[in-house]
Amino acid sequence: MTSALISLTDLGFAWPGQPELLDIPSFTLQRGETLFLKGPSGSGKTTLLGLLGGVQKPDRGLIKLLDQDLSALSSGARDRFRVNHTGYIFQQFNLLPFLSVRENVELPCHFSDIRNNRARHRHGSVAKAAAGLLAHLGLTDPRLLERRADSLSIGQQQRVAAARALIGQPELVIADEPTSALDADAREAFLQLLFAECREAGASLLFVSHDQSLAPLFDRNLSLADLNHASRPQEI
Amino acid sequence: MYLFRLALASLSNRRFTALLTVFAIALSVCLLLAVERVRTEARASFANTISGTDLIVGARSGSINLLLYSVFRIGNATNNIRWDSFEQLAQNPRVKWAIPISLGDSHRGYRVMGTNTDYFEHYRYARQQPLELSQGREFADDPFEVVLGAEVAEALHYKLGDELVLAHGVATISLVKHDDKPFHVVGILKRTGTPVDRTLHISLAGMEALHVDWKNGMPAQGADRISAEQVRSMHLQPTAITAVLLGLKSKIATFSLQRDINEYRGEPLLAILPGVALQELWGLMGTAEKALFVVSLFVVITGLIGMLTAILTSLNERRREMAILRSVGARPWHIASLLIFEAFSLALAGVLLGLLLLYVGIAAVQGYVQANYGLYLPLNVPSGYEWMLLGCILGAALLMGCVPAWRAYRQSLADGLSIRL
Repeated sequence: MTSALISLTDLGFAWPGQPELLDIPSFTLQRGETLFLKGPSGSGKTTLLGLLGGVQKPDRGLIKLLDQDLSALSSGARDRFRVNHTGYIFQQFNLLPFLSVRENVELPCHFSDIRNNRARHRHGSVAKAAAGLLAHLGLTDPRLLERRADSLSIGQQQRVAAARALIGQPELVIADEPTSALDADAREAFLQLLFAECREAGASLLFVSHDQSLAPLFDRNLSLADLNHASRPQEI
Repeated sequence: MYLFRLALASLSNRRFTALLTVFAIALSVCLLLAVERVRTEARASFANTISGTDLIVGARSGSINLLLYSVFRIGNATNNIRWDSFEQLAQNPRVKWAIPISLGDSHRGYRVMGTNTDYFEHYRYARQQPLELSQGREFADDPFEVVLGAEVAEALHYKLGDELVLAHGVATISLVKHDDKPFHVVGILKRTGTPVDRTLHISLAGMEALHVDWKNGMPAQGADRISAEQVRSMHLQPTAITAVLLGLKSKIATFSLQRDINEYRGEPLLAILPGVALQELWGLMGTAEKALFVVSLFVVITGLIGMLTAILTSLNERRREMAILRSVGARPWHIASLLIFEAFSLALAGVLLGLLLLYVGIAAVQGYVQANYGLYLPLNVPSGYEWMLLGCILGAALLMGCVPAWRAYRQSLADGLSIRL
């Protein structure tokens, strides 16, 4: 087993009927590493995340996650593999509004036995794991747990989303512009909490954003434009 | 069943549309079941009009015609039966009882029927229920006594002891009245929900007394007239009646006696089995009933299409929900099952609410319908057929749920984890 969590080799991808969007000769993310990936909109960022999540298949090349070649798995197996090993945080409105905060955090454990077992092993029960994570992320009020997710402020919602991404200790957390809806102070505070939790869980963090100001906080930072050798579309 | 819980939570988030959809389905289900129940009960009550009578005998005509005038008091007999034919029938060893019926007069649109007290004793309707008096007594020796059906008494506000004048012929407005020989009410029957309720019952002697001085279809004039007082002292023996209801000692003899009557040499007679003739008559009216049923089926389909529309329109605004579910590990088939669960839950809630509406509705109008239409709507549990209908509705909802499920499946494959608005 190598120490690379993600390794891309000679990856190529194009949407049907469009020019090649991604051409990445090589990319790796180490275990436990936090990586800032700068990607303006239209740069193929979302597509890359789709490929890493196994939702799309590359036209050519190899995507390895935890030494598993994603293309070798069936689509159902890729879905399972994704939830077992990856937590996601999106830009905003990450939560299912009709579920409570606790239920939102517990969601991945209903779809992944591995994460369910890990959460129970470490905290005793899934509910305790959720409460523990939320407490670490600064949401300590137990009454908050049973409130509807959409009754929270945006900043609180993003922390709930982080707790959901981290529950059951996935090896990788992928964050897609999670701070764009937060103001500058809240951004950094959120990131520090996220770093601390990733460290504690031993998870790698792949953080995709166009906001360069956050880059220095990471172990490493990269620009998708440098990574991607495909002829770039016009930036908007 | 975590997915089911998710589907319910998502539905409750859209509770206004969901409630409307459930309500539309509930109304359509209620309508379907109500039509079905009224249909079944109308048919049953139709079949219940007469029971316990094995054969109806009249002058030779059509079986439905005979049934209509002898049981439903609709239309007229084409011919009469001679009294001696009736006596022969009554003395037949296979016959247990014979009720003579004489029709032809009316009172303010209600038919008058001449018969004897055997009628009250042997006539049965519904499930072998006998006629019962709610007030007074049966008519007795005096020819000018009348026993009213429940509806006649109620609609015309008659009570015991009232006097009434019968009219000759059956038209609602009759020009010739038997006003020289008034009758008085001695009894009122309990409601039966059959044409008995709309009948005035007098004795054969009374019927004869009305027409004793008539010649060539016209009342006698002047000195030839016979007063009610004079009539009372006369021997009033009818010479002809309209129909005969027969009860047999053994049902097995029904067909052979029917054949014998149909081949009777004395005069042309026709004997019918009431059950068979009722079936024939219902067959004539069945089309309307089927049309009603088809219409209510279409209403159910409309309700389900409404549900389909509501779910399909919601799909677009729920792309975010789908993408979030995908990111936490839901597979496309999970998303598809969510939508099928959703359709099923809506339909199930609709069916249950529909049943509730039906029972509340029946409980509310039961008395009114029975009193006014003679139709008893029972509050019993759904029949096998009704369960089958409900099952079909749920099945159809499941099938329809496959449409948004398929679309969401495709959508979630295409969208993946990207959240689109």
